[in-house]
Amino acid sequence: MKISTRGRYGIRLLIDLAEQNDSNCVTLSSIAERQNISVRYLEQVAIILRRAGFIRSVKGASGGYTLARDSSDIIVGDVLRVLEGDMLIVDPPIKGTTETLLTSCIRRVVFEPLNRRIAEIIDSENLAALVGTQDTEEAYMYFI
Amino acid sequence: MRISTKGRYSLEAMLYIALLPGDIYSSTREIAEKTGISEGYLEQLFIPLRRAGFLCGIRGPQGGYLLGKPAKEIKVGSIVRSVEGPLQPTPCVQPNICPKQEFCTSRFTWSRLYIGINECLDTISLQNLVDDFRSRHEPEYSI
Repeated sequence: MKISTRGRYGIRLLIDLAEQNDSNCVTLSSIAERQNISVRYLEQVAIILRRAGFIRSVKGASGGYTLARDSSDIIVGDVLRVLEGDMLIVDPPIKGTTETLLTSCIRRVVFEPLNRRIAEIIDSENLAALVGTQDTEEAYMYFI
Repeated sequence: MRISTKGRYSLEAMLYIALLPGDIYSSTREIAEKTGISEGYLEQLFIPLRRAGFLCGIRGPQGGYLLGKPAKEIKVGSIVRSVEGPLQPTPCVQPNICPKQEFCTSRFTWSRLYIGINECLDTISLQNLVDDFRSRHEPEYSI
């Protein structure tokens, strides 16, 4: 149950762009430096984010990347689904096959509510809200 | 972002055992036959499940497995965690893994996700699965 590096780095790339919140373009090499991620990896992620319409590139000497829309219009869930393929906890049932009674029971009682909960969380966050948020200590609470 | 077969198969095996009358031991061979999960894999999964107290086993020709405690006291979250480890979307949700944890904004999302996943699975017990199953399939289902 892991988010891949593509999803994690993609979110950091977008947050970095949102934090440089002027209209100037930001180069991937400056993001790479701030975020300590390799430029080559960021390039791959940036291509996906650009095709999906989250960022746009500007060519030229002062070129680079900028958010393609307002950061409040960029939903974390949409970004993650593009980068990760989907955000489901199990594969959807294969069409034309029937599940066993046991597996369909587990899907109904466990996996479907969990998929809904995950979607609620990631779809309730936009990039603007994320920028400036800091560690809330919430995660620590879970260990106490 | 998938739960592995460890978690999925453990839930299936635990549900199978939970649906049997409380004094009937089931062997890994029988569970393998009924679920299609390999016997070797089940034996591997049953080691952490036993250690966590969710199953108890007895040896011998009449041996097999029973639930280690009542189904309503076994949370789905604990079953999955006992075989998969902590259900964390990223390693950085654990304290003191990442030096940037104090000011990293993306960690906030991962932490919310981590808490949400665990809370959701901890509100579901093995008994909830048993109840749902029985409400739909009994009495026509017999093991």
